[in-house]
Amino acid sequence: MVHGVGVGMERSAKSKHLGCALAVLVALATLPAAGGRAAAQSAPELPVIAKECGEANLSEMPLPNSAIALQERKQIKILAIGASSTAVLGWRREGKPPLLEQMLERSIKGLDIEIINRGFSGELAQAAGTRIKIEVALNHPDIVLWQVGTNDAFAQVPVEDFEASVRETLQWLKAHNIDVILVGLHYMKQLAKNEHYQAIRASLQRMSSQENVLRIRRYEAGEILGRTLREAGRPEPSDFGLNESGYNCMAQYVARAIAVGLYAKPAKTSPPSPKSQ
Amino acid sequence: MPRQANAIDFWRGFALVSIFINHVPGIWYERLTHRNLSISDSAELFVFLAGWSMALMVGSRKEPMTAGRLVARLGGRALTIYAAQILICSLALAILASTAYLVDNPLLLEWNNAAAFFQDPAVTQIGLVLLTHQLGYFDILPLYVVLMLAGPAIALIDKFARPLLVPLSLGLYFASLTVPFTAPTWPVPGQWFFNPFTWQAIFVLGFALARDEGVGAVVHRHINWIRRVALPVVLISSVLVWFNWFPDPIRLPEPKLLFLNGKSFLTPMRLIQFLALVAVFSVTYPLFAPWVPWLTEFLSILGRNSLNVFCVGSLLSLVGQVVRLVYTGSFIIDTIVVMVGTGLLWCTAWVSEWRDRQKASI
Repeated sequence: MVHGVGVGMERSAKSKHLGCALAVLVALATLPAAGGRAAAQSAPELPVIAKECGEANLSEMPLPNSAIALQERKQIKILAIGASSTAVLGWRREGKPPLLEQMLERSIKGLDIEIINRGFSGELAQAAGTRIKIEVALNHPDIVLWQVGTNDAFAQVPVEDFEASVRETLQWLKAHNIDVILVGLHYMKQLAKNEHYQAIRASLQRMSSQENVLRIRRYEAGEILGRTLREAGRPEPSDFGLNESGYNCMAQYVARAIAVGLYAKPAKTSPPSPKSQ
Repeated sequence: MPRQANAIDFWRGFALVSIFINHVPGIWYERLTHRNLSISDSAELFVFLAGWSMALMVGSRKEPMTAGRLVARLGGRALTIYAAQILICSLALAILASTAYLVDNPLLLEWNNAAAFFQDPAVTQIGLVLLTHQLGYFDILPLYVVLMLAGPAIALIDKFARPLLVPLSLGLYFASLTVPFTAPTWPVPGQWFFNPFTWQAIFVLGFALARDEGVGAVVHRHINWIRRVALPVVLISSVLVWFNWFPDPIRLPEPKLLFLNGKSFLTPMRLIQFLALVAVFSVTYPLFAPWVPWLTEFLSILGRNSLNVFCVGSLLSLVGQVVRLVYTGSFIIDTIVVMVGTGLLWCTAWVSEWRDRQKASI
């Protein structure tokens, strides 16, 4: 039986000391750069990433609209779209909120996180893009957390079609002042030489940098996780255990990226305007 | 003896083949299905014709069924569909698990909303049985179960207070759109892909329009005029879909669901376009049927055995997804998937009728 966060959290606890030390180091590395709207408030204690997750080289990308929401409402709405929500939100147990929500609320005092889960597994980027627009119009989220790419790669969607769909949606979200976090393709050793999979991955990488959108490097994180597991003499990442550890790590990466993004320096070029609701 | 090929069975078969193809995302033949030129798709057609078929099950007002027999008959049908849903979900999970194991790809355990089951089977199994956890592309039958469970109420309202049936249904539809509300999922928090409170409207309309009385009688009497109004709706909506000329959802007035194009809530735009499509295309069957008897026979046999064909089709779609993943989807692979898949759908229908014949001969 594959366990969810419960097991992962036990493991996390074992490496808590090293994790805390890493968190302090990362916090020291990122906070001097923070100068955004939310930085005026007390700096957060950044969510801890467990040792076994390794360091995924998270980028420091501001989430300016969410920073405004944090400042004005002390509430951030996250719309989760894409495949298995468990993979990025963490598994909820015994009526507790998802790991991502718990981590963010623990890190940022007084913050209320509302997660709207609209993940439909198996959906391709084009259909998800249409649904994102509808869900954004209905729920008014501050952040869209979009897992995208793996399904399109498996369904052999041409790279140019994938890129057109994702780019159009990203631009629409930016035009409506919604922050976006892309969660990229899954890692599997067997897929390292799959040309189409790697082409879709490169395309997402390219778009996120061109559109200046925060991307959680799930593939790279998976690679690091695999290496960490191998070095620790644990099963190879191609075994079924990958997802179990991977889920916990992804929720931690996302929580960290959001916390850093809320306090990161906003881009100098285009200051965010109030939402067009 | 199975009934002769007819328009209802034909279009039901058409919907089943379209659903089979559309449930293999990325397949080349997806671009040939009617949703590329229509706001509504085969899901609307399937549910509408399910309502139509329920009217045929209930029988005509001239030969009324007792209330008890109505409830027993429709309740029994709901139970059969529920059992089918549980069976195909169980098989789908086994297909995903065995393929993940055989091709050493654990990502398959996350496909189609299966992750929750493989992560926390104890709780998710309860959700599957309660229909509050639905696998991706296996979410139409839970709607159908709910609608058939509501079937006795629909039939009894039709029997005792016919003029109230469509207004009550539309009242619930608009309430669900304006409040808005839908059915929740559990244990993974979310919403049903097909909101039963809005999708019931198309089911009830299918039921009402199949009758020779009430709304059905009015529509049958004025169908030529209705078609004249419907044709421009169908043509304009084709243009909108082709060029993706839909308004920005954020700029729409409240309540937005009244103006959006949303499948989960079966928004009015979809419902109206679908009804227009039905009005226009209902005239075509007698025109083409004599010219393509093999096609009418082929799709009609599928439509006559729709539940069995739907169940097998859902599983074949999943197998098609797996085949495309393992053998890398290409035009040739896609052609094989569609040809073998539709062939097996026909076999399913043939075996179903053969079994019926065997039973009848005993």
